[in-house]
Amino acid sequence: MTSWKELLQDEIPAEMGNLIDIYEAQMELRKQGKLDEKVFAESRLRKGVYGQRYDNGQRHDGVQTRELTFPSDDIVKGPDTLWDAPGMQRIKIPYGGLTAEQLEVLSELADEYSGGILHITTRQDIQLHYVHIDDTPDLMRRLAAVGITTQEACGNSVRNITACSLAGVCHDEVFDVSPYADAMTQFLLGHDDVQDFGRKFKVAFSGCAGHACGLVKMHDLGLLAQSREIEGETVRGFTVFVGGGLGTVPHQAKVLAEFVSEEELLPLTQAVARVFARLGEKKNRNRARLKFLVAKLGIDEFRGLVEEELKIVPPDERHTAYMDSLGDFVYEPAKAGMALNGAALPDGFAEWYRTNVYKQAQSGYSTITLHTPLGDFTAEQGFQLADIARRYVGDNIRLTVEQNFVLRWVADADLPAIYRDLDAIGLADSGAGTIVDITSCPGTDTCKLGIASSRGLTAELRTRLVEKINLLPDAVRDLKIKVSGCFNSCGQHHVADIGFFGNSRRSGNHKMPHFQVVLGGQWQQNAGSYGLACGAVPAKSVPDVLEALTERYVAERAEDENFQTWVKELGRKEIKAMLQPFTKLPSFEENPAFFSDWGDSRVYTIDDIGVGECAGEVVSLFSMEISRAESTHFEALLALDEGDFAAADQNAYKAMVLAARALVRTKYLDVGDDYNVIVQEFRSRFYDTELIYDRFAKGKFARYLFKRHAEAPARINEDYAHQIIDETQLFIENVHSAEQRINGVIVG
Amino acid sequence: MITVPNRLGVKFSLKQKPKLQPADILPIFQRWIQEHAVPGMLIDVIDYKHVVEGPGVILVADEADYAYDLGEGQAGLNYIRKRDLPDNLSAALRLSFHHALHAAKALEAEAPGDLIFDYSLAKISFLDRMNYRNQPEVFDAVRAEIAEIVGEIYGAPVEVSRVNDDPRRLFAVRATVSAGNFDLDDIARRLSDIRELA
Ligand code: HEM
Ligand code: SF4
Repeated sequence: MTSWKELLQDEIPAEMGNLIDIYEAQMELRKQGKLDEKVFAESRLRKGVYGQRYDNGQRHDGVQTRELTFPSDDIVKGPDTLWDAPGMQRIKIPYGGLTAEQLEVLSELADEYSGGILHITTRQDIQLHYVHIDDTPDLMRRLAAVGITTQEACGNSVRNITACSLAGVCHDEVFDVSPYADAMTQFLLGHDDVQDFGRKFKVAFSGCAGHACGLVKMHDLGLLAQSREIEGETVRGFTVFVGGGLGTVPHQAKVLAEFVSEEELLPLTQAVARVFARLGEKKNRNRARLKFLVAKLGIDEFRGLVEEELKIVPPDERHTAYMDSLGDFVYEPAKAGMALNGAALPDGFAEWYRTNVYKQAQSGYSTITLHTPLGDFTAEQGFQLADIARRYVGDNIRLTVEQNFVLRWVADADLPAIYRDLDAIGLADSGAGTIVDITSCPGTDTCKLGIASSRGLTAELRTRLVEKINLLPDAVRDLKIKVSGCFNSCGQHHVADIGFFGNSRRSGNHKMPHFQVVLGGQWQQNAGSYGLACGAVPAKSVPDVLEALTERYVAERAEDENFQTWVKELGRKEIKAMLQPFTKLPSFEENPAFFSDWGDSRVYTIDDIGVGECAGEVVSLFSMEISRAESTHFEALLALDEGDFAAADQNAYKAMVLAARALVRTKYLDVGDDYNVIVQEFRSRFYDTELIYDRFAKGKFARYLFKRHAEAPARINEDYAHQIIDETQLFIENVHSAEQRINGVIVG
Repeated sequence: MITVPNRLGVKFSLKQKPKLQPADILPIFQRWIQEHAVPGMLIDVIDYKHVVEGPGVILVADEADYAYDLGEGQAGLNYIRKRDLPDNLSAALRLSFHHALHAAKALEAEAPGDLIFDYSLAKISFLDRMNYRNQPEVFDAVRAEIAEIVGEIYGAPVEVSRVNDDPRRLFAVRATVSAGNFDLDDIARRLSDIRELA
């Protein structure tokens, strides 16, 4: 019997094939127990092979926690990660660019290995879920044969390099960034200087400053196209941003260099990577992203270090060689550009044309957006889409960071025909980029860290919004919603008008899925500013919350006032008050539906264990005290709004101490009010004992408190105030969940 | 001897569009996990009903997927055997038929009179492009054997045809038997030697 390895040996580039062989050998060594599980886990991640929910062999089925007894029970693919458990394969698609053939191979793989479904991520990647690790080497070989690698798709490495999906066809771009994204992808892939990072490193390119597409300001390294007149010649280059990133504590990137020329782009990037590898945090992965290093050193010192490093970066002809082939990067449309010619238009075309069609800079051509619900599409749609692409646009397919496809270079005269063809395969939904086009991370469906069902909520909101989209005023229709299943923000909730991230609260002795409401983030200006959390509401109340918010926005906004401004004007206090009615939690008996998540019939807990009075008392004392901490945190938010950063800092600090006190008091009622005593007691009782530890973040959130308690900040500015407020929020969440673990009678 | 594919699917479609919505399948499958209502190491339920003509709602097990599949616009029960396939095609097909039938009957019992499967037609998918490219030669090579094996399961002559001739698609066949020519209880008896995964 032949194998994919034999069959494809002439088609797989040698270097790629070699890396896959090494990985396959590592798999074998791991199975035999000859390779350390942690080492294997990182190697596997660097091949894009991720763990998936329940791969620790535990799952709550709604009645009880059941052990999943996989056949090779004793073999693990990483700490607490069972070999046979379904996993996720992330596949890098640089700047989202796909050929028809690549789309076909991806679809074939989905058919055979992942239940027939492909998923588009928020970073222009493709993911296959429920993949068995044993299938991954062949899967990689089949991709390699059509020029796709999964190398460094996860792990502490340079992740997929993203770029505007309109690059090359956009009216506003300074120039097409695609060939630069391509060159950097090739340059950095497997480069020696990017192998020793403490954490992942994300790069994005953008063609203009004003629009959103590239999102350079939320990346570790962001490149914004610029051109300059130098000695009478137009020179291309980039403004370089560093140290941005979402995650638990989002950071806006800082400008490293106003302008670097094409020649300097790759060496500078290399210098940044070397500084990051050398000085970036390695032990504590929660502070290991570049953003923390930049924040710690300050941008000026960081710049100085990069400039020094640049002097010793060894010469490399690849730094400039790519420039010779920039001209080869041409688009081949399948058809000549031609205007729409008055042909009869299909039903639904007009609305689709309004929302999903972008007139390219090149006359006679358009770029169209294909909405994929929750970022998912079937292998069958993939094959048919490849056919449609060949018929109308050739290889001009791209994925977007909003989890959609775009087809570029559609001749305008073909728009009605391509609309009909897409409609026939269910990919002609209108509303791209509007409120129905919601972004979502995987959440509790497959992510190990998920707290609430981001996909379940997204599906529910979309269903409801699609029904009434025609009735919505334009101001609401154009809002962006983004949902993450937890504070890690993979769904990019920080940069949406209306963002949600999952958390949980306790009502009686049951946990209830919740979402934090994050308002007023900005997608424009390359993710220009981040929203701030305004309060947690039960998952099942989110649709009502959305309605209340949008109705009020429409009723009260000044003409032409956008959502960000309206949120700012309204103020946090008022928003909090608006959310207040939704935060009253029903008991399990009153409304059991609130104790299941969206799209999941399982109950989080069941009421079959009696609750002792004592626990009840303690819990209710805790609830009282933690609510004080929460209100103090809210004070900090108000102070921030008013521009009083010192007060914001003071209140945030106090809120953390109060939250710690709330927890200490469950064990030591007489702790008193002295900050030193509270922090000391908290440390010895909950931190040194690791009781406060979050399963994944460990003691990270508690250390926010210790850091602030140990020393007041030297400089208090807006950035700092934002940060400590976010940290406080996370610490309070941490205390909530620790209290649930320690004191509650939680089933499951 | 004919190679056993990596994965093998058997799908029975519903006779008519049911009142039951795909969303209603989610709690059923969740309960099946709680009650261990179908064989296998049951893991989780996946909700893909939002994609057009997709795999619908899947009850994932370690050995197999049970999908309330919406592919080709035909709702049905698709049992896809993923692991531990027996080493000959006959045993592999018998195993997959057994579990597909069992699961379809279990689903019918959840909505009596509404969910009614057409057992006279089975779609058999070979999820293995290495050994089963969707090409006429492949079909010619396995057609008679599939007809014989499935005919034995039904105890009646079976027509086998290709589902589509696009070389990119999975190789899949339709096995059809004339209604009235077979009896479900007899089939169950003929497959009663299949014991694994109880
Ligand atoms: C501490 C752990 C994690 C952090 C801090 C984190 C953070 C992030 C952030 C900030 C993004 C989004 C956007 C961006 O930078 O452009 C992202 C993307 C993503 N994350 Fe996570 N994440 C974590 C773990 C996970 C896990 C366990 C999963 C589930 C398997 C996951 C799934 C995703 C997905 C699907 C994307 C979209 C993108 C891609 O193609 O890279 N993340 N992550
Ligand atoms: S935001 Fe949380 S739940 Fe969503 S994918 Fe990221 S880590 Fe998982």
